[in-house]
Amino acid sequence: MTQCAIAAAGLGAVAFGLAMLWSRSLYVGAVCLLAVLLQTALIYMLLGAPLLGLLQVMIYAGAVMVLAVVTIMASGGGPSGERFADFSLPRPLAALGVLAVAVELALTLASTRASAPTPAAAGLSAAFGANLFHAYALATEAVTLLMFLASLAILPDREPS
Amino acid sequence: MSGAVWATSGALFAVGLATVVLRRQMLAMLLGVELMVAAADLALVRGACRFMDPEALAAVAVVLAVAAAEAVVGLSLILRVLRSGRGLDAGELSELRG
Repeated sequence: MTQCAIAAAGLGAVAFGLAMLWSRSLYVGAVCLLAVLLQTALIYMLLGAPLLGLLQVMIYAGAVMVLAVVTIMASGGGPSGERFADFSLPRPLAALGVLAVAVELALTLASTRASAPTPAAAGLSAAFGANLFHAYALATEAVTLLMFLASLAILPDREPS
Repeated sequence: MSGAVWATSGALFAVGLATVVLRRQMLAMLLGVELMVAAADLALVRGACRFMDPEALAAVAVVLAVAAAEAVVGLSLILRVLRSGRGLDAGELSELRG
């Protein structure tokens, strides 16, 4: 059941990713990315890392996507003239790239079909939390400071008097 | 079925890369970068859970936070470009073009 749920969430994530690529509206693109991130957070939880899933929902859905939507609102949000850039890559080469991705996905599915996913140990989340706030406490604090400094970048300049 | 996570990760990375390469709007390109980071995180989490490695999960948490900071800086740069009146089209930014 868990494997089917992971596969369904993966299919949903890829479908929303493709919708993000093809959507003309930036609002639709942002909502599709939000759906992809929620699907991947669900996969994290199903794999046995619920804390990371919650972190992903809080950081992306609660902070980054709000900023993205505000930026889209500030830009008007309407579609621009051209959706895609001038595609100067030769068509046979582009088709070869798409074929390579398809072959890579097929080989990945074929090579890992035999091995069933092992459920994560019950203590993995506890060990993860202990690592984050004990062994890597300095890195956690540094990243927190980095996020605070990055949030200052969104502030407007002071108007010259 | 175990390869579903790897296949999802690869497909999401390919879609994000296609978004960055093909789309014209800077915001759409930034969303594509976020998609690529999410795909890489997914592969990292799958490996961490497979090998029961809590340190890899801690690394994913750090990557999540750094990606969020990068997104905020990217959005602020896009806002500054908008304030300068040059629109969202990446093709309009041609000062550094030789």
